[in-house]
Amino acid sequence: MNATGIPLKEPEVSAVAGDTEQLERAYIDASTRVPVLMFYTSSIAWLILGTLLAGFVSWKLHSPDLLSDISFLTWGRVRPAHMNVMVYGWASMAGMGTAIWLMARLCRTVLRYPLLLVAGACFWNLGVLLGVGGILLGDSTGYQWLEFPGYAAIILFVAYTLVASWAVLMFRYRRGDQIYITQWYLLGAFLWFPWLYSAGQLMLFVVPVQGVLQSAVGWWYANNLLFLWFGAIALGTAYYMIPKVIGRPVYSYHLATIGFWSYALFSSWTGMQRLVDGPFPAWMITASIAATILTMIPVATVGLNHHMTMQGYFPLMRYSPTLRFTVFGAMSYTVFSVIGVLISLRSVARYVNFTQASIAYSHLGLYAFFTMVIFGSMYYIVPRLIGREWRYASLIKLHFWASAYGIGLMTLMLLAGGFLQGVDMQNPTLAFSESIETTLPYLRGRSLAGILLTASHFIFAYHFGLMLLGLGRTSTVPTFLNPVEAEASGGH
Amino acid sequence: MKGLAPLFLGIFGTFAFSWVGLTVIPNWQIGHLDPQSDEEGTDIYPQPQSGMFERGARVYAANGCIYCHSQQVRADYAAADIERKWGNRRSAPRDYIFEQPVFLGKMRMGQDIANIGARAPAEQASPAPAGAAAPAASPSGGTSPAASPAPQGAAVSSPPPPANSPATAPAASPASPAPKAPTSPAPASPSPAAATAANASPNASPTSAAGAPWPVQTAGEPPMYSAAWHHVHLYSPRSINGDSNMPSYRFLYEKRRIRDARSADALQLTGSDAPPEGWEVVPSFDAKCLVAYLMALNQSHPLNDVRLVGGAPAAPVPAAGSPAPASPAPPK
Repeated sequence: MNATGIPLKEPEVSAVAGDTEQLERAYIDASTRVPVLMFYTSSIAWLILGTLLAGFVSWKLHSPDLLSDISFLTWGRVRPAHMNVMVYGWASMAGMGTAIWLMARLCRTVLRYPLLLVAGACFWNLGVLLGVGGILLGDSTGYQWLEFPGYAAIILFVAYTLVASWAVLMFRYRRGDQIYITQWYLLGAFLWFPWLYSAGQLMLFVVPVQGVLQSAVGWWYANNLLFLWFGAIALGTAYYMIPKVIGRPVYSYHLATIGFWSYALFSSWTGMQRLVDGPFPAWMITASIAATILTMIPVATVGLNHHMTMQGYFPLMRYSPTLRFTVFGAMSYTVFSVIGVLISLRSVARYVNFTQASIAYSHLGLYAFFTMVIFGSMYYIVPRLIGREWRYASLIKLHFWASAYGIGLMTLMLLAGGFLQGVDMQNPTLAFSESIETTLPYLRGRSLAGILLTASHFIFAYHFGLMLLGLGRTSTVPTFLNPVEAEASGGH
Repeated sequence: MKGLAPLFLGIFGTFAFSWVGLTVIPNWQIGHLDPQSDEEGTDIYPQPQSGMFERGARVYAANGCIYCHSQQVRADYAAADIERKWGNRRSAPRDYIFEQPVFLGKMRMGQDIANIGARAPAEQASPAPAGAAAPAASPSGGTSPAASPAPQGAAVSSPPPPANSPATAPAASPASPAPKAPTSPAPASPSPAAATAANASPNASPTSAAGAPWPVQTAGEPPMYSAAWHHVHLYSPRSINGDSNMPSYRFLYEKRRIRDARSADALQLTGSDAPPEGWEVVPSFDAKCLVAYLMALNQSHPLNDVRLVGGAPAAPVPAAGSPAPASPAPPK
């Protein structure tokens, strides 16, 4: 316990053992410095680009004449460009950065040949750059989530192989035979992604399946990418960060086991619920709806596990930036899944399937859940790589609140607007244009939320830039959101 | 967890389960559909497309039309798609067997366009996609007389309607130029146009105006859903419908000085969109391909395993496996 009685640092064991352990950790952290910072820096650059594209997309939707005469700025190209920048540029790179760091720490092994990972990051950046350029120049494949033209996809895959084989190799060199929960998820993510990506590419481009099955493969890919790649990384990260920051072991390993296996089993079967009433065999859609409902099992077990771990320690969210972001993300996982179940039920899906509500759903998953957890992990990891603490608690607070309110407002706007849009669309006595007019106020509200998110991302990028320039605080105490001494003197 | 082997096996096993279940088995079930044909093999649907259609599909993909327009009509018991005249039957897997990529779409910030080619005025209706049975008229019925010069006039012969078909299809016409044995009752479903027209009230203007396609015919514009209309709509969506939030695609068009005579392709623009005197706006080849693609989108050909609305339910078990309602939905 530290002087204040609040265990915001790692729990210390005995003095001697603690010293060696801390030395070892610092050594491992140092070995991951260059590649992880490389991944983080690239991802944040993509985040800023993707945010600007998002603002453009959002604005054009209610002001369609904005810069529409330029071919590469037409809405139908900027939208997939935004989506792919966020998915492959920001989320994947940030996720890989966190995953590499976690893997090294949990395997208790020094990262060997970090320059190969740097090469992987460079290739990945090149792939995303070519892919986004290709989309803007009119080379999109037309499959949602897989719009990158073939030349970019191949580069991405090569880059991925470099990164993932390193992560898996690290696992081979691990010390100790306990495999922590986080490692299950990360190992899963690293092994699922290449299979998923190559299956998607093969079944759509190399040996294309016939007709509507392409859409089925596309949705299967998109949903599995969301769950088995991003979701797995985020859950693994949360399983590490929450116990680490509060200095308390995970509540139950058994619950974690149930949660992991049910997650792998059920969430991989989702996706077809987005095709309700479409030209497909009904069993496919029903199977996915059932799987979506069954994802309540991992949601309940993981949520319960995190909740019980946090029990009594929730006030720490006042102080630790990592904890605040991570717990927000972990709670959003529950919200995301519950809304996912609601909008997959046939009677609801009929109303919301072709509306803005589906956009709300993917943002809940990719932003409120994944991105917030990753922000939290960055607040934890970056100081350990650079040896400086975050400079301004106020900027972290601003970042958190702008992100939280931004994504909250956006989700509410898109869900409400989407539902009303669907109700109008299902009412044949209303002209179709009325369903669009109904959504316009909500789309403007979404643009407002976008401004908040843009502000939050610029604040974060600025703060991260200060850290990179070595302008962080030199201190042995992490940057707390609120002064710890004054608050805690009475407690404990 | 200690053992590494169970972890790896589990990770691969769960994923393999989903991969096989959601992609391999469906591929086995509906991944090798053949076009449907009648006994003589003359009325084949769908038929492969090529040339301008393919290039048009690439233009469609490149400019992200899919992010606002779907191409799938849901069944009448599930959605208002058919009442909105987006089609005369639900879409089925067989409709898409030659499409690569398939643009089912997931968003409707614009209308569903699975059948936009079927709405073209009669003389322009593309004969290609259906192979036969090009719709005789715009399914909009009586709402746009200008666009549909011969709504039911194309009836050549009226084969006896199948016994289980409602008698409300007065002008059942196989509007097919292909020779078809008049004695074969199997594919003799009412012409799509007639079916939708019969489903709406025959004298449609006041009641079906609500369900009318959007946008509506404006005076001075080319006939709705004709090629000329598509070009004007792509060039200046809000000149056709003031409420539209579709972006304009002017970069697919060229504004140039008229050389000798006005080009036959030149857009019929009015108002503020019209080019200055001595200038004209002509579509690029990409724009022509895109319009050719749109005009060929047509799922109005009857499929044996899908029930036409107001028509005959053909096969008792739809291949699509969807639960069909016991009785057809009551006509609106």
